[in-house]
Amino acid sequence: MTTTFRNEPLLELRRAPERERLLAALSAVDATLPLAVPVIVAGSRRDEPSFASVDPGAPERVVANATSATAGDVDDAVRAAQRAARTWGATPASERAAILARAAGELRRRRHELAALAVRECAKPWAEADADVCEAIDFVEYYARQAVLLDAGPQLLQLPGERNTLHYRPRGVVAVIAPWNFPVAIATGMTVAALATGNGVCLKPAEQSPACALAIVDALLVAGVPAEAIALLPGEGDVGAALVAHPGVHTIAFTGSGEVGLEIMRRAADPAPGQRHLKRVVAEMGGKNCLVVDGDADVDDVVPALIASAFGFAGQKCSAASRALVHERIIDHVLERLAGALDTLLVGPADRFGVDVPPLIERSSVERVERIVGAARSDGATVHRVERMPAGDGYFAAPTLVAGARQDAAVVQQEIFGPVLSVEAVRDVDEACERIDAQAHALTCGLFSRNPRTIAEVARRTPVGNLYVNRGTTGAMVGRQPFGGNRLSGNGTKAGGPDYLMHFVEPVVVTENTVRHGLVV
Amino acid sequence: MPTTAPVEAPRSGPAPEAAIDAEVLELGRRLARRRPSVRNLSRVANDRMMALVARDPQLRAALFRLVDVAPACADADELAAHLDAFLSDVEHHSPPVALAARASTARGARHATGRIGFAAVRQMAGRFIVGETPASAAPALRRLWERGSAISVDLLGEATVTHDEGRAYADRCDETLVTLAAAAQQWPARPLLERDSAGVLPRVNLSVKVTALTPLIRAEAPERGRADAADHLRRLLRRARDVGAHLHIDMESMDSRDLILELVLELLSEPEFKAGPSAGIVLQAYLRDSEETLDGILDWAGAADRAVPLAIRLVKGAYWDHETIEALQNGWVPPVYTEKVESDRCYERITRRLIDVHPLVRPAIASHNLRSVAHAVVYARRAGLATHDLELQVLRGLGDDLQDALAAEGLRGRTYCPVGDMVAGMAYLVRRLLENTSNDSFLASRTGGAALDPLLIRP
Repeated sequence: MTTTFRNEPLLELRRAPERERLLAALSAVDATLPLAVPVIVAGSRRDEPSFASVDPGAPERVVANATSATAGDVDDAVRAAQRAARTWGATPASERAAILARAAGELRRRRHELAALAVRECAKPWAEADADVCEAIDFVEYYARQAVLLDAGPQLLQLPGERNTLHYRPRGVVAVIAPWNFPVAIATGMTVAALATGNGVCLKPAEQSPACALAIVDALLVAGVPAEAIALLPGEGDVGAALVAHPGVHTIAFTGSGEVGLEIMRRAADPAPGQRHLKRVVAEMGGKNCLVVDGDADVDDVVPALIASAFGFAGQKCSAASRALVHERIIDHVLERLAGALDTLLVGPADRFGVDVPPLIERSSVERVERIVGAARSDGATVHRVERMPAGDGYFAAPTLVAGARQDAAVVQQEIFGPVLSVEAVRDVDEACERIDAQAHALTCGLFSRNPRTIAEVARRTPVGNLYVNRGTTGAMVGRQPFGGNRLSGNGTKAGGPDYLMHFVEPVVVTENTVRHGLVV
Repeated sequence: MPTTAPVEAPRSGPAPEAAIDAEVLELGRRLARRRPSVRNLSRVANDRMMALVARDPQLRAALFRLVDVAPACADADELAAHLDAFLSDVEHHSPPVALAARASTARGARHATGRIGFAAVRQMAGRFIVGETPASAAPALRRLWERGSAISVDLLGEATVTHDEGRAYADRCDETLVTLAAAAQQWPARPLLERDSAGVLPRVNLSVKVTALTPLIRAEAPERGRADAADHLRRLLRRARDVGAHLHIDMESMDSRDLILELVLELLSEPEFKAGPSAGIVLQAYLRDSEETLDGILDWAGAADRAVPLAIRLVKGAYWDHETIEALQNGWVPPVYTEKVESDRCYERITRRLIDVHPLVRPAIASHNLRSVAHAVVYARRAGLATHDLELQVLRGLGDDLQDALAAEGLRGRTYCPVGDMVAGMAYLVRRLLENTSNDSFLASRTGGAALDPLLIRP
């Protein structure tokens, strides 16, 4: 762990042999489908399938048959994690880090297979699936190093006659409630942040991506994480709710919708009978992200950045751009080119190289998109959509530009989590900032401007957690762009950043009087 | 191990490197002396400014940002506001910077400063861009021809992000071929520029960019852009064949390299293009695998049953920063050599190979580095090539003096001439300015007063 952190290299997919390796991995994964995802508690596996994950591009293909955790499983898992927290928490940080480094190695060894799994189970296009796996590896390597640094503790003021030390103790049991949109990275990140700091973990993956979660847990176990320290609890909302309510849970690390996040915070605030601690919630929730385009922007750069930010992974990233706030002087030009660029997008299954926009995760997402686009259209907004759509019953939604929607329209106000971009004219950057300031969400924002003063001013006043200047709004890298939102987008935690681990520890200060009989001893 | 060749190499065969160095030095000195003595005054001022900028990285950054943003500014006031903001980042104000900073801040002077800024950018663009349209560029192209330089026209444009833009670029290329073919008929005869030992060299020569022909270039899915680009490219190849022009396909970044190479060689193998047109591709010596790429091209050339040999323009490569940054950010091994000297050596190795295989392909040495140019000329001469069998290419605005010197020396040169408006030309202009003011630029070294001989030694 003495080496400095470096991001895991992405696959160089512009080289044909790299692509062939991934396609071979996909064939190998396909040959093993459907996978079985059991409940895993203290190393023992219970396999009684009760729900399935499917390929969103071809829902008849079952990716995994998973076993839903019961209330009893949840209770067993929390108790096991409590026991594990004592021994694992007492293990030196450097030893924990060494074990996690082995887990990173395991993920690295299986990277092609894991990317293929994310392609199948969540319809992540190849480049994004590969980036998802790399980010998972990054989280492991980064948090393991950070935990060692944290263990050394900060220096306190020392005066003659006393010795002051501060160290960080694991909080105990961490419930990880993970999303499907970064099925490998985010589940891994929250889990290893807890493990690196010595906590026991109960992982409840999204019901859409249990197979990806199983791969993570297997990698951790193979690497030598104690079996009691990591439980896998597949299931739907009830499993998460049981975890949140359990008096043995200390920290809840959640990434998902604002609605669920707020409910978790309410439930966590209320101590259960017998609970002797305050639960802490790490919440990363939604966004309604704007990309501001000033009049001096280079439209050659703006158009591809907007297309990638709004339609990459069909807009199913919390960082995705869903509003373009464009200077009125250039909006006609930008809109014309955007519409033309939209027409070049290829919608199709995620496993095909060259597909720009994959299917959405489930049928209800498509219905949500259609509802919001339909409302905008009947409200008089101009709607431009990709016309050539794939046949079959995959969950495809047409990439959509909406221009001239009313400011109170759902397409302007709500998080859509789909391939829809609202394009709005603004008088100047100031007006764009006012619109952003009026929002409840504050996750990411993009700004295209070539005036350093404009950039400085937007950076000063923006409420968002991550501002991207002259680039797209997605693709935060561990250690480079610590990621997380403010306001209703989250409680300001920054995944992949230097202070993230603080949410998983408790500081303890020991002050010893070293004066005896008037002498310093 | 190859056997060591005798120092006194026979004049007919290629000589070992050391033996030709003396001749390279001599030719390099002679070409340097042939710089025109009477020079355009604004060009001299421009060169001085470039030299000043090259010495001050902050000033250089401010100038590039100004040039970059100029076409997007609504008016002179907005340009002045940008200039003011850029200069506020420059810490140590040299007298000209201080003056400009005061002028761009002062209320009364601001508008005037913006106007001067526009004029300066336009003047700078005029140095590199021969005209806004092929028709308006035609007189300048004719003047180059009369001065002893062939031309290759490059149509500048915005990035292609839509199908309409791809079609519009293809249409412009098509019109350019027709327009220039008509204009070139009136040009006076220049035997050196019009024929080599393989046959006729077309007067009209157009360089095209595949990424401008289609918005479907995806690095991880070359097949997507391929069909779309092929349709446009076939149409241009037919037109070039019908009007007797040469079509040269430019190379860009690694993201499209394999696609472009495979596509072009495949199209040229199609039966309808066996008899023509004359066509060419580009090899970038800064790529670590450029010699393997050449292997593939030469294999193809050996097997292709085409009437006209493939032209290969050898460049060092203009996307070094892009390739390096992209690789570093993604954790890849950079596809380019990290040390300039490695690119220079590779350039000479490939130069020799291109000459050694003559007449399988037509070599075009495109460099402003006097050593690289002189090395090619001397090596070709010693290999027994006729003067007209080696083409030397320069960029308009950067290599004009060199081109004049090459013509005076009786060598066959070609000037790469961008055509287009200022907005579209800005990416090109900024890249050329960066190139001209970078520390390891041959031209910047010379303008900055560096001694000649050390620049002429073997890399």
